[in-house]
Amino acid sequence: MTRPALVVERALWWIPGLAIVLVLLLAPLLFTDFYLSAVITKALWLGLAAASLIFLAGYAGMISLGQVALYGIAGFTMANLAAADGGSPIAWNPWLAALAGILVATGVGLFFGAIASRSYGIYFLMITLAFAVLAFLFFGQVTQLSGFGGVNNVDRPDIVSNPVTDPANLFYIALGTAAAVYLLIRYLERTPFGLALQGVRDDPSRMHALGYNVPLLRMLAFGLGAFVAALAGVLSVWWNTRISPGSIDLPRTLDVLIIAVIGGLYRLEGAWVGAIVFAVLDNWTRGIDVVGGRFNTVIGVIFLAIVLLSPGGLMGIWQSITDFVGRRFAGAASPRPRPAGERAHPS
Amino acid sequence: MRDGSDGGRLRLWALLAALVLVAGIAAGCGGDDDDEDGGEATPTTETGAEATGEPLRIGIFSNNEGAFAPFEGQTWGGAMLPLIERGATPVSGDPTDGVENAVIAGRPIEILYGGSDSTPDSAVEEARRLVEQENVDILLGPLSGSEGIAVANYSKEQPSVTFVNGISGAQDTTLKVRSENFFRFHSDGTQWTAGLGDYAYNELGWRNVVTIGDDYDFPYSQVAGFVAEFCAIGGNVSARLWPALGEEDYSSFITQIPQDVDGFFMGVGGTGTVAFVNQYGQLRGNLADQIMGGIFMTDPVILEELGDQVVGVVTAGMTAGDSQEPAYLEYADGLGEAYPDLAGTASSVFAYGYYTAMEAIAQALEQVEGDLSDDHAAFREALANLELDAPLGTITLDENRQAIMDNFLQQIVEDQTGDGVPDVQTIKTIPEVDQTFAGFFSPETPSPDRTNPACEEAEPPPWTVQGGGG
Repeated sequence: MTRPALVVERALWWIPGLAIVLVLLLAPLLFTDFYLSAVITKALWLGLAAASLIFLAGYAGMISLGQVALYGIAGFTMANLAAADGGSPIAWNPWLAALAGILVATGVGLFFGAIASRSYGIYFLMITLAFAVLAFLFFGQVTQLSGFGGVNNVDRPDIVSNPVTDPANLFYIALGTAAAVYLLIRYLERTPFGLALQGVRDDPSRMHALGYNVPLLRMLAFGLGAFVAALAGVLSVWWNTRISPGSIDLPRTLDVLIIAVIGGLYRLEGAWVGAIVFAVLDNWTRGIDVVGGRFNTVIGVIFLAIVLLSPGGLMGIWQSITDFVGRRFAGAASPRPRPAGERAHPS
Repeated sequence: MRDGSDGGRLRLWALLAALVLVAGIAAGCGGDDDDEDGGEATPTTETGAEATGEPLRIGIFSNNEGAFAPFEGQTWGGAMLPLIERGATPVSGDPTDGVENAVIAGRPIEILYGGSDSTPDSAVEEARRLVEQENVDILLGPLSGSEGIAVANYSKEQPSVTFVNGISGAQDTTLKVRSENFFRFHSDGTQWTAGLGDYAYNELGWRNVVTIGDDYDFPYSQVAGFVAEFCAIGGNVSARLWPALGEEDYSSFITQIPQDVDGFFMGVGGTGTVAFVNQYGQLRGNLADQIMGGIFMTDPVILEELGDQVVGVVTAGMTAGDSQEPAYLEYADGLGEAYPDLAGTASSVFAYGYYTAMEAIAQALEQVEGDLSDDHAAFREALANLELDAPLGTITLDENRQAIMDNFLQQIVEDQTGDGVPDVQTIKTIPEVDQTFAGFFSPETPSPDRTNPACEEAEPPPWTVQGGGG
């Protein structure tokens, strides 16, 4: 690979990336309040939920359907502890309630991770699906905590302001959280823990033979995924001002999987790329008569197209484009051999 | 990833082509939509000679997914009819396509479409889109009970938009939330049961009953009304069963209904009604003299599916399908003429609720001559004080902007009209039932839920035999 080719290829990653960061930083000036709140902020917290799934799938080889249940646990815990209609009579400081929500969800994640960590592949998928259904039914049935109508008017910290009339604050909070999570996971990728996880992903038996405690690593990964999902849960309740079992039902669980697949299940950025595509399409199709109310059909077709044609998702497509352009610049040079790990996380 | 190989590139192009195709389809539809919008707006100003004012945007949303999706057509038909009566023409036989040339009080009306799935989250999301993105002046909806509570709460954040409820019937929506800009021109689930407890106790001689209803706010409200009335005059409710909304297999709940009770109140709604009644018939047989229905039993669409097995069942609600009042016949015929598919569904609460809502909006707009200035102050004043001459009697609002209206006790009888569907016969009309249900409920009483209100003897409501009515 020649040097200019490398520069061009790098530029194809960095320039759009920087442009997106710039647009996001200025988003409150560029978009209407509604779009900022209902599409972009939503995409940021949905992207967080998807990022927790991509982290598990991409770094630990655990495709989990339990991330929405975990964010629901954080959301319901917070909604019940903070002042709200239909919550319990004790009213905590909203920050404390949010912290409690995150801790409880992470704790549940660790506990559940301990149970599920010995399952692999389809069995792991099924056990997390069971967990998702269990959480949904639990909050639907236990009317002291929620019931079908859920918890309305959940109190927010003052700094969050009112997400309907003044969405900029929540947007920046969501943006900051998303950025922090992104950097955290990218940092973890290079730590011994992250490297061990990637080893577990590629060959658990060999890692076990090397002396690693594979179930412990997987449990910790699941706990970390739960922590990220819990952040999404807290943001979603602040954004919605409410939560109900309808927020964490099976369609919502599948939404997060669909977002991750559309964005690219093996690149962390894919979480937010998928989420923004999802949120924009959702908003856009509703306004169109013929496809209006058929959002599921549209997103389903895109999902099928991605699964059939580009298993790397939209990020995979971009990868192909940059590779293609890079090769053009490199002239007739033979394709660069790729290290095994790069399939999953080229950076 | 096989990037680099020709296969990889081919796939990439195929994928891009597929994406473009999808986008093209969507954009094409969008284009059609724009044309239609244009077609709606342009003739409105051209042919509607009197339509000189600024267009007024009314968002309408009902359920296009979930347990109540089958009723979307009825809700839209009901909502379109007042516009059609004022000169608009339906775009097609499907009421969700809207109308052309709609004018109220000289102002062209633009209708914006929305739909949710009976969960409060989806309803708020859709309400937000219509209000904040589509900038509607007036929002008509939602359909389902828990949705209504959530949207009423949301309406407090949007003081410059007027909200008129569609047909969501939870008590809390108006009695507890009490949003200044949220109006409901139909009675709630509790009001709809007025007369049932009295009939069960005094006519059928029931003393011990079980209730069953979907596990959310609307059936809570219905069961609350039945329990309050039946227990006030001395009846006992020994159990309340709550299957989840949208349940398909009710057998485990049916077996929980003890054999020795006198009967039970059936509040399972939506797509569950037919499943429940059929399964009950298979498991226990002899349905009609054990069951007392909520409003879904007499819904024309559901009645058609249930057929003769429910003949004899007594229900109550805000509509009377057997009414021969000229105003009702005009309304029913109008609905059937505008939308042949909806012929015979005029007595559905879904059609009637959305109809009264749009009729109220239209009449109030006419009173203020389409003037929505000053954050709708005059318009809301007109809505609050409206005496709506509805097809089945006058509707007025209380101080929480909640309808006070007549309720009808009805029995399902064998087909008399020759259409093969059982008919309903009104046994009794209970005039002007208000939301407090003769004083049982107030903003301070606990919200109806799985266990509230408690089954206690109390002052009998005035429409019961014990209360001096009957």
